Amino acid sequence: MHHAYIDKFAYQDSFFHRLDGRVKLIVVLVFTALVIALPRTSPAILACYAIGPFAVLVWAGIPLRFVFKHILVISPFVLVLALSCPLYDRTPVTVAFGPLIWQTSLGWMRCFTILGKFVVTMLALIALVSTTRFNDLLAGLQRLHLPKLLIIQLGFLYRYIFILIDRAQHILLARAGRRLRNLGFKTELQIAGAMLGSLLIRSIDNAEHINIAMQARGFDGTWHSLSRLKIRTADLLFAAASVGLMLALNFFITPLFR
Amino acid sequence: MSKAIELTGFSYSYPDGTPALTDITLSIDHGRKVALIGPNGAGKSTLLLAMAGFVKGTGKASVDGLEVNRKNLRQIRTLLGGCLENPDDQLFMPTLFDDVAFGPLNMGLDGEMVKVRVAEALRTVGLADMGDKAPHHLSAGQKRAAAIATILSMSPKIITLDEPDGSLDPRNRNNLVKMLAELPQTLIIATCNMDFAAALADRAVLLDKGRIIAQGAAEEIMTDARLMTDHGLEVPSVLKEKANRSVNGRRSG
Repeated sequence: MHHAYIDKFAYQDSFFHRLDGRVKLIVVLVFTALVIALPRTSPAILACYAIGPFAVLVWAGIPLRFVFKHILVISPFVLVLALSCPLYDRTPVTVAFGPLIWQTSLGWMRCFTILGKFVVTMLALIALVSTTRFNDLLAGLQRLHLPKLLIIQLGFLYRYIFILIDRAQHILLARAGRRLRNLGFKTELQIAGAMLGSLLIRSIDNAEHINIAMQARGFDGTWHSLSRLKIRTADLLFAAASVGLMLALNFFITPLFR
Repeated sequence: MSKAIELTGFSYSYPDGTPALTDITLSIDHGRKVALIGPNGAGKSTLLLAMAGFVKGTGKASVDGLEVNRKNLRQIRTLLGGCLENPDDQLFMPTLFDDVAFGPLNMGLDGEMVKVRVAEALRTVGLADMGDKAPHHLSAGQKRAAAIATILSMSPKIITLDEPDGSLDPRNRNNLVKMLAELPQTLIIATCNMDFAAALADRAVLLDKGRIIAQGAAEEIMTDARLMTDHGLEVPSVLKEKANRSVNGRRSG
């Protein structure tokens, strides 16, 4: 079966695709921290922050439809959090947007701030994973001294999540092929439990085989890897430009809108 | 000279007590291409695991003269490279390069040597320019070839392959036969595809219900129609004519 891989566009070639994974990772982490740390903001400030990742996505040739589709997929989790704000904070505030002035509540302001920050940080994150191959990201994380165990787990997750999804889809297909009538909630629940159990047992079986494959190739618990990452002039230029832009946004642009 | 594989009176039972291998006595010379044939559940995969020291039974087992025991396991696993039935179990790293480099890195080779080994292994299996690919972007045939490359990069003297022809179309199967036929290593291939076995093996070992039923020259065993059908197998299509001649010969004699 075919899947929409998160790093589907990471195999393209552009200036941003060629940059070192570590540099892109650090820039995105700092950018995300800056956006999250912004106090209650106006949409105009967030729009200024969005320009950077948006430009990277366009320049790197990542289809915006793909970007917004992925933002939509994850948005329900944030929507629940954001939409709960107007319920508990009803302090009235006056908002002005050019000549337009209207009354709203602090809760709604919080709601839009959360959604705005979510979209901006997601743009940056998608720009990162769409221009960096997952293994380069892992290598970058390893060079940044993240625990090796965590990196191994992430590597396995990326490698096997699609196989697990495939298996689940096959089980569902087999079930759909023999589902001739509605069996009632209780029976359906029992069947779902059995299907999940089968998936779990197969996963354990898989894990045992992978363990054999690793041991057969001399794995003794120590993880060795060959890093192919290299910092070049382009990486330094990108890092310098990003830091410059983030400083300008934080110290010059943001105060203008307060 | 020591044998590539030697098993004497080897038996193994599953944890629930079901016998998996019973009194296996087997000797394989270096450089041979041996087919382990038998119906499903005959014990072929378990026998391959026993050779690499993954199952501990009773009796004696040795690889290239080294007794299969805890002390020798590391050395044995550099001498004997095993490829599992499902390539998705064999390919667990994010890229093909990392997967093929996994074994050589564990052997303690330096970075440059690892790169040379990886390039050589990928070239041998016809995936020279695909090191950067993620395993889930490979076709079934490419996955199978990649799984073999993960073993070749460790330069083992003996290679064991469990059902390597599984889920391959005829073109990919023929490519695999050509590639395996050119390998200089001792090959031990577990399969229930008789055409595949006939195309590659010079020796055959017929297993059923955990016991060795027959062993000898591949052609001799695989043309014995009665032996094959009695154990849920069939005469390979390329040897059918020969098998018919020998049946008719026996009848007229």
